[in-house]
Amino acid sequence: MGVNLVSLARRAPVSVYPCIGPEMLPAVEALWQARGIRLSATPRDAEILLVAGEIPDDARPALDRVHDQVPPPRAVHHWAGDGDPHDALVALRDRLARGEGLSPDRQPDEPPNEWRGKGDNGQGGKGMMGGVPYGRPMAMTDDDLRDGLALDAYSAQFGPFAPMLPPGLVLDLTLQGDVIVKAAVAAPPFPQPPEASRPAACAARLLRLLGLDGPAARVAAGRSPNAFFAVRAVPAGLGAAAPGADIRSRLRGWLADEPGTYQAPDPAQMLPGLEWHEAVLTLASYTPDALRLACLAAAEGRAA
Amino acid sequence: MMIAALNLLAMLVLGAWLAATFDRMAPALWGGRARGPLAALADGAAMLTRPATGTEKPDAMLRIGAPLLYLVLAAVGLAVVPIGPAGALIESPVGIVIWGSCEALIVIAVFMHGWAPNSPFPLIGAYRYAAIALPVMLPSMFVLIAAAIPAESLSVTAIVESQREVWNVVRQPLGLPLFVLVGLTLTLRGPMDYADGLDLAGGTSAEQGGRGRALWQMARLAMLVAFSGMAAAVFLGGPLGPVLPGPVWLWLKTALIMAVVVVLGQAVGRTPPANMLKLLWVFGLPISFLHLVAAGALALW
Repeated sequence: MGVNLVSLARRAPVSVYPCIGPEMLPAVEALWQARGIRLSATPRDAEILLVAGEIPDDARPALDRVHDQVPPPRAVHHWAGDGDPHDALVALRDRLARGEGLSPDRQPDEPPNEWRGKGDNGQGGKGMMGGVPYGRPMAMTDDDLRDGLALDAYSAQFGPFAPMLPPGLVLDLTLQGDVIVKAAVAAPPFPQPPEASRPAACAARLLRLLGLDGPAARVAAGRSPNAFFAVRAVPAGLGAAAPGADIRSRLRGWLADEPGTYQAPDPAQMLPGLEWHEAVLTLASYTPDALRLACLAAAEGRAA
Repeated sequence: MMIAALNLLAMLVLGAWLAATFDRMAPALWGGRARGPLAALADGAAMLTRPATGTEKPDAMLRIGAPLLYLVLAAVGLAVVPIGPAGALIESPVGIVIWGSCEALIVIAVFMHGWAPNSPFPLIGAYRYAAIALPVMLPSMFVLIAAAIPAESLSVTAIVESQREVWNVVRQPLGLPLFVLVGLTLTLRGPMDYADGLDLAGGTSAEQGGRGRALWQMARLAMLVAFSGMAAAVFLGGPLGPVLPGPVWLWLKTALIMAVVVVLGQAVGRTPPANMLKLLWVFGLPISFLHLVAAGALALW
């Protein structure tokens, strides 16, 4: 029985979590349509970490953290974007099954920093809430942006390998529920080749965030999405950089194969006040290059 | 009784496999690759054999309790549907009330699942789902009560009997579409998947791999079977039909509803939760209330 389960499991696609480096977004996005490979939405559900391209030194600690979230025994495949990685991944999975090619934890299984106790329970905040005990941010009540209810605010860093954000982008966010109340850019998105900004690629990226994988595959192949409530699922006016230039119009343009010349605003300015899903859609409604330029310009502005 | 229980179990397991297979065939509608009947089993085996890691300080009881509760709710919900030759496993005079309470408790199961891992994305998924599922429960009740009016009974078997001359899908045309919206919510699918979407890296499942994930996915599929069986009984006359035996008819109709839910789940976009909340309260609720009023007026007339 156990043997049968294992041989049956071998017929399933290889489950990989991609960490996408500079210049590698189009190559990895092509894997959505690849035979025998499944891109997982979370490292916890992957067996192999796919490291695409050269990860810059700044992002290495984050890569190690994602690496350690892939359940052991795990393997790592470094891919430069050339050719179909399917056979190499299958071979790696077979080696894993034999107990070879394992990639051990890269970080010690201990808290990110020392105990910095404060309060009766040494938790660091007030009462039973807040603070950063052992380097872990805890929620704490704070004034609310929208309705005056003092809900818990939670601050944490998101990126650079989160599946819903452009690769490389690191955001320091404070959330109340799923509403972003404060945002700062800790690192800009990685540079990507012009193919990543093709209208079809950008539209497919947005459609996947709307839960439309099938239609996204059609769009990526240069065809119409054949979906219901795709463009209209994005509320009118959301992410409007200027009157009439909202996410919906950008998606409509991309679907009509118009590149558009949209300049992205600074994420630190555009994200506060948005709910998580809206924020993710807003970021994906700009080309990765436009977003990178906006982050770099904002950083330069701050430096000056 | 024993046979009816085994029958229920068989329907849940076979139905879950069929639903999972529909899920893997549907991409062909968009020119993708359809995967065959073994694909669902292979994926399940891969999940079961894959290792899993836990988060720091998870709530271990809720982590296992959430999928189990979800599975039990699917089984109890399907138990009031007359699926066998001898009718339902639980022949209750208040069948749709039992189903309704199962629906409401799904919100608890999903919330438990999001709470358990002690992590932000799952928790956001849990809260988001609770906010959306609550207003979905109300149309569900209106739709089911409307179906009970011509039957003059809250029993699912009586509702089936009341469709001997005309199915509820014809008599109450808005009922099935509204109920399918409920089904998408109960099974966390496509436009109503505010719990487990990609924008939250898998939401309530974001921290889960291996057997725990397999159990959760199985529970979602089992709930799709239960929902489809219920929809087939309430709107498509359940086991009623010529020539073929009743249970076969119910099976066929259940599979049809299942296919519709799978395709809609992959073909309809997911609007941000705040917008969905507005659509549900401003349009969904009044429409389902008007539907109930119309059903009542039709019954009196």
